[in-house]
Amino acid sequence: MADQATTNADQLAKDDRKTGIGVVATHTAIFLALMGLWELAARGGLLDPLFFPLPSDIVVSFYRLYITQANIWWHLGMTMTEVAVGFVAGSALGIGLALIVGMFDRVRRYLKPYIVILEATPRIAIGPIVIAAFGFGWTSKTVIVMLVCFFAPFVNTLNGMASVDDEELAMMRSMRASRWQTFTKLMLPDALPEIMAGLRLAMASALGGALVAEFISANEGIGVLLAQYTGTLNMASAFVCVFTLTGLGYLIFRSMEALDRYIVFWTDRDRTEVMGRVRAAKWKGLVKEAYA
Amino acid sequence: MTAVASTVSGIRGGPDVSSRSPEAPAVISADNVTKTFGGGRVVALEDASFDIRPGEFISLVGPSGCGKSTLLRIIAGLIDKSGGSLKVHGEETIAPRRDVAMMFQKPTLLEWRTAVENVLLPSEIAGTVTDDDRRRALGLLKLAGLKDFAFSFPQQLSGGMQQRVALARLLQTGADILLLDEPFGALDEFTREHLNVELMRIVGEVGATTLFVTHNIGEAIFLADRVFVMTPRPGRLAEIIDVPFERPRQPALQLTTEFNQLVARVRSVLGGH
Repeated sequence: MADQATTNADQLAKDDRKTGIGVVATHTAIFLALMGLWELAARGGLLDPLFFPLPSDIVVSFYRLYITQANIWWHLGMTMTEVAVGFVAGSALGIGLALIVGMFDRVRRYLKPYIVILEATPRIAIGPIVIAAFGFGWTSKTVIVMLVCFFAPFVNTLNGMASVDDEELAMMRSMRASRWQTFTKLMLPDALPEIMAGLRLAMASALGGALVAEFISANEGIGVLLAQYTGTLNMASAFVCVFTLTGLGYLIFRSMEALDRYIVFWTDRDRTEVMGRVRAAKWKGLVKEAYA
Repeated sequence: MTAVASTVSGIRGGPDVSSRSPEAPAVISADNVTKTFGGGRVVALEDASFDIRPGEFISLVGPSGCGKSTLLRIIAGLIDKSGGSLKVHGEETIAPRRDVAMMFQKPTLLEWRTAVENVLLPSEIAGTVTDDDRRRALGLLKLAGLKDFAFSFPQQLSGGMQQRVALARLLQTGADILLLDEPFGALDEFTREHLNVELMRIVGEVGATTLFVTHNIGEAIFLADRVFVMTPRPGRLAEIIDVPFERPRQPALQLTTEFNQLVARVRSVLGGH
């Protein structure tokens, strides 16, 4: 499913590159027409404005939340902090633990049942317990994001480590590589594409995890703001929160994609070519000398 | 079984036929090397005995299960033998050695490294990398015919070119004993023939002792000074056949009557196997 999303995004990105001004204009026109339809439908009584606010009202609310009242910034910052800290801590823990477990067969055997049990448990179910333990502040939300972000990197790293080719391991051994060298020069880089895929999955669920945690119980964050506006039937402002989250989600997706292309460059043809030139530049003097 | 053993031991200590370095002491010396798996139930290799002299090119040929890869891995120090003695440069092998290097059927290149960085890997593993190591890596790539591809990544290279990189990496180890386990087995016929000629040229140039595993009889004879013919169930070194042809050899050699007589002889040893 994540792969599907990636492929679609790639396709969209490719389509984007092909666009001329005409296509941009068409997109804009279609978008404005849709908004116009929505506006008319709401004004004409086809849509209940209680739940589907007027697009024009949403625009006004955007201006209010971001500029005049400017109250969304604090909550947005809160949520982003929870996501960032929870993601970094959770995935670091997942990857780190997987690396240790992957290096020692015995540890993996004994840990396996617990991993299976924990993986079967919906992470968010632990949410209320975590909040009870860590309070209503951002700490408990961060811990929940951490839990949400732990498993995908953990499982993927473990799989990546286990899938190293036997002949490649024999090759390292025949060169008398130490355990550490085999790890840093073969197993870790070999597992990187899988690790990155795990990180992308984790990041995709991190924002959702933070939101649900804020819904459960909190006093700050976009989730809290969204719940408050919905509770007071201020739907235009609620939609501003939703669209803000859309933007944030898109930003996160795109930056993870960029990071992926940078780190596991060898899975991408264009990046591989660029890296070839970068590496060649470092050897310039020697090459001139050797191939003179 | 006794007949086989006498055939093999008859060659041991006999007149040296290697055209390269007659009378030199053996670099590899095997005495009744045996390997069993599953607590002795499966005999992968039984009582292999032979001497290999410096600079010799040995082909190991036989069908699957004849123990040729097992023997190679024992010499590489990758697996332990169950019995007998195997000495490399006079020392019993118990682990991988610095002077023995191995190449596999798959190129086993690291995808995230350019060709030259892959070649440099043995130097990195051995210790600090100097500019001399780097120059040497570039030189070996040139020797392997990849001068213009030093900064290509493996996925940008064809299968044949990837094996050339692996060959350069093999030589970068500085080992004087090279073990090749069906290195071109996954390549197409034309590429393989071409690489075989290149391989002979390159190992001739560096003067290494080479053991080459293959299941192709023609290839085995074409490359080797001596062919070790192996038969399966249990894996056994059935006969050692001298290949008298002068070097350098051209592919046309494979069309001569003498060559095909040798092919027939290997076939007759392999018999029903």
